[in-house]
Amino acid sequence: MMKGLVLACIALVSTGALAHTIDGNDANFIQDIDGPAIAAFMYLGAKHMVTGYDHLLYLAGVVFFLYRPTDVLQYVTLFAVGHSITLMTGVLADLQVNAHLVDAVIGFSIVYKGFENIGGFDRLPIKPNAKAAVFVFGLIHGLGLATKLQDFDLSPNGLIANILSFNIGVEIGQVCALSLIFIALSAWRTHSSYMRHALLSNTALMTGGFALLIYQLTAFLTTSIS
Amino acid sequence: MSPQQDTNVKTSTTKTIFWASGAAAAIAALLAVTIVLPAEFGIDPLGTGRALGLSELADANGGPLESSDTQYRQHNIEFILEPFQSLEYKYHISQGDSMNFAWRASGELIYDMHAEPEDMVSEADVPSYDKGSATNSRGSYHAEFNGIHGWFWENRGLEDVILNINAAGFFTATTLFRDGGSYEQKISASFE
Repeated sequence: MMKGLVLACIALVSTGALAHTIDGNDANFIQDIDGPAIAAFMYLGAKHMVTGYDHLLYLAGVVFFLYRPTDVLQYVTLFAVGHSITLMTGVLADLQVNAHLVDAVIGFSIVYKGFENIGGFDRLPIKPNAKAAVFVFGLIHGLGLATKLQDFDLSPNGLIANILSFNIGVEIGQVCALSLIFIALSAWRTHSSYMRHALLSNTALMTGGFALLIYQLTAFLTTSIS
Repeated sequence: MSPQQDTNVKTSTTKTIFWASGAAAAIAALLAVTIVLPAEFGIDPLGTGRALGLSELADANGGPLESSDTQYRQHNIEFILEPFQSLEYKYHISQGDSMNFAWRASGELIYDMHAEPEDMVSEADVPSYDKGSATNSRGSYHAEFNGIHGWFWENRGLEDVILNINAAGFFTATTLFRDGGSYEQKISASFE
């Protein structure tokens, strides 16, 4: 029960810190940069990932039933390739997508993963390929990352180096966060409570995803009206 | 069971899945309506935001104070527009900065208040905020992007019109477009 509660708390915290953008001081810093700033952008990328509840919840869902590190590697690589593609092309091609809508789809991706984890698709006539889904949602998460960078007037001077650095930082942050998640899950797996609370945990995951979805859709509706 | 095939909870029945998904959606909706929307957007349909004191958070998001990193500047200027003459006068303002303005003319002028982004590619990037025909206008303006922000005026009357422009806020320079030329002028800060 405790573990389920912990996940529920994570879901709650995620709703509290939903407006997950790059904030005040970092924002000023980014806009003042003119030229390559590799370490700075790597740091920002890593920080964005480690403090990004939406990305973390999704990753927790992805690795929830992955027992072997090689499986984790496969899925996470697919996710990383997906989000790298859209992060790079999104910023470089200056794709204009609504950040709230993308974040709403990211919320949906968490719901989707939780639903998949509780065996939801086993009862449906369609059972999408889990790896394909991770790749596709990777693309969406990357668009989300791109919109965060696009909020700023990035100097064209050193832009590619900076986006690459941000992307590498994102991967580093992802590995850090994922290691912790995987270690925690592995430890929990040795207890019988793991399977008993798998349903509860993934329901909590879906709750967090739904909350993000509602929040972002509301943000989208209220900002497009004004 | 072999671990590598165990990619989800195999024991879930359709009923369980239905209830788990429904509960997740319902709890999320409840949390959103009672807590998140009141705190983040001030949308408080059930009054729970007021009751829990969350609504103040939403107010704080768009609070009364807006600080600026740009130096404060005051500026006024006067032009004479002969019949069928026109000009554009724009202030250089960074994204998120504001200015208060008032302009007054001795006769009716056609005007268009608009802004041009720094990295403008086409006319489609020029949003227009206010258009019409008037002898004066005043207000406060908040720049949505880095660029130049101001007005186009044209005298369609048969007499000279004196136009007075007054502005105060967080601009750094002005640009005058007149007779096919553009003239940039730095404005000095009130305190430096």
